[in-house]
Amino acid sequence: MTEAPPRRIRRWRATFPRLSRFALEHLLLLPFGASIALVWVNAAPESYYRVTYAMAFAVNDVAMMFFFALMTKEVVEATAPGGVLHPWRRALLPMIASIGATAVPALMYLRVIDALEEPMLALAWPVSFATDIAVSYFVARLIFRLHPAIPFLLLLAIASDTLGFVALALFDPTRELHLVRGILIMAVAIGVAAALRRARVRSFWPYLVAAGGISWVAFFLSGFHPALALVPIVPFLPHAARDPGFFVDARATARDALSQFEVWWRYPAQVTLFFFGLVNAGVPLHALEPGTWGLPMAVVAGKPLGILVAAGAALAAGLHLPHKVGWRELIVVGFTTAIGFSVGLFFCTALLPPGQLHSETSMGVLLTLAGAPLAIFTAMLLRVGRFAR
Amino acid sequence: MISPKHRILPTLIVAAAAASASLLAQPASLPNRSDSVKFAAIGDNGTGDRPQYDVAQQMVRVHATFRFDLVIMLGDNMYGGQSPADFVRKFEQPYAPLLTAGVKFQASIGNHDRPDQVSYKPYNMNGQRYYTYTRGNVRFFALDSNLMDRKQLAWIESALRDAREDWKICYFHHPLYSNASRHGSSLDLRVLLEPIFLKYGVNVVFSGHDHVYERIKPQKGIYYFVSGAAGQLRKGNMEPSDQTAAAFDQDQSFVVVEIAGAEMFFQAISRTGQTVDSGVIRRQSSRSD
Repeated sequence: MTEAPPRRIRRWRATFPRLSRFALEHLLLLPFGASIALVWVNAAPESYYRVTYAMAFAVNDVAMMFFFALMTKEVVEATAPGGVLHPWRRALLPMIASIGATAVPALMYLRVIDALEEPMLALAWPVSFATDIAVSYFVARLIFRLHPAIPFLLLLAIASDTLGFVALALFDPTRELHLVRGILIMAVAIGVAAALRRARVRSFWPYLVAAGGISWVAFFLSGFHPALALVPIVPFLPHAARDPGFFVDARATARDALSQFEVWWRYPAQVTLFFFGLVNAGVPLHALEPGTWGLPMAVVAGKPLGILVAAGAALAAGLHLPHKVGWRELIVVGFTTAIGFSVGLFFCTALLPPGQLHSETSMGVLLTLAGAPLAIFTAMLLRVGRFAR
Repeated sequence: MISPKHRILPTLIVAAAAASASLLAQPASLPNRSDSVKFAAIGDNGTGDRPQYDVAQQMVRVHATFRFDLVIMLGDNMYGGQSPADFVRKFEQPYAPLLTAGVKFQASIGNHDRPDQVSYKPYNMNGQRYYTYTRGNVRFFALDSNLMDRKQLAWIESALRDAREDWKICYFHHPLYSNASRHGSSLDLRVLLEPIFLKYGVNVVFSGHDHVYERIKPQKGIYYFVSGAAGQLRKGNMEPSDQTAAAFDQDQSFVVVEIAGAEMFFQAISRTGQTVDSGVIRRQSSRSD
């Protein structure tokens, strides 16, 4: 009779297929597009810029709307029973931690940029807020498996990115805001979405086309980035009573509008990410200037430090860390959330038009991928997650 | 003068057609006419070090006989600290004789400059990152190549379209063409700006960023100068290509220019007062003419 394989091998086999499926569905096309961009821009830069500049508006200002809509969908479902944001009190400590996870890297970034004598790069400080939720989640699952640190990390990443979007809206150096105009048009969009919800419209298409279309116009004319146009509309889509799980794909047979939206747009959004990587990740190697290092240095050092400081303040105020989450886990979470990648590239492109500043900062965003091996190595060193004894 | 490894012989280029531009690269002194537009161009100057002061003294020496009333600043106007004391040490002191003589400095912003320099009065930017002004029959366009956003591109296009002067000169920090090895050409900006420049008949472009002097052969009819060594210097950084008409990377330098009618005379002068390049450019017939 053959012996059963050791338990850890059985666990790895059980985990790996799910993670590899997750990676295939969520993580491959963006790096693929980014890789093509890196090769192309360094081999034939003029043709790269000519082609991608022509595509930039369609990709960044229109198509990316669907990617952020799907991210919003995850957050909306997470507020349902069974979700990481339910009840909302669970989010309190990660939200406090996100203040540290954003403020400390931003301050460190400004200090480093000042020391490097690259004052124009200071405009890019909101990029230090960015966390690529999907990549960070994947790395965290590799380290922690099914550990309470995972929902903590997800909430932290969502909160940090939300703060980043707010900073982007308020401190964009090139956009002029027209708030009154935007609010008036947005009110119409919200009104349409609310009316559709009240009328129990089950199909997502009216929400997308009518409310979403008006919302896009509102964002565009107000000076806010139009890729976020579906973010205020998605919460109006009727959704399931329980959260199926973060990054758990909706079943094709699901009846609610939000799930149907995801089923329909899941793969087009991945294709969008391919083109996003292609259009925005093309950084010439000579962009590796001293200023490039400002961002990775700030987030790799600042995120863990900021989280520790903020968590310490929260504990002093009487809050509690999740079970099995201590300072060692927080450090590893900090390195994991330092990975900016897709969101970092988006912030960079939204803030900085083409030129040296954009190239340097984009290169810095790509270098934040170093957070992944750092997180894994630190987890091994500190015996955290799967490396715990 | 020029680094021995990359010696460049002076050449004489003769225009092949009546409508096309011609360049006489034999040394030519500035005619110093009373009704011409005269200006100097400096880039990457604001170090506060001895070489910057030496270059400034050369500018004062030249100004004694060649009374330029304008200096265009090609960015990186200030390095390091940018406190009021730094503005004195790195700008007001070295160029004091010129400022006292009423020479107007019109700056553009480089990557080492703080954004609030647009409000520093002696730079005459009037709070604008990009702006335009005229001198005689020359319209100058100072651009912000750090943040070449859609709004600036739209502004450039409309400003160039509306300009009626004979000469259109653009200047900004990052060069569209450069053969210095440290930075080189900003191809991303070239793809954005060159079509606009060609469409609306820009004649000459000055840039800094690379700490050398280089004169580029006309590219699609537009003349390019890199003059980024008025304080900084990267010795031996030039890697001349077939685009290079002249180059100098052994010492700091600046450029003086005189535009008289349809001709632009230029002279690149080193920190020690040597003429390292000179010539005359005949104004191209514009596509928009």
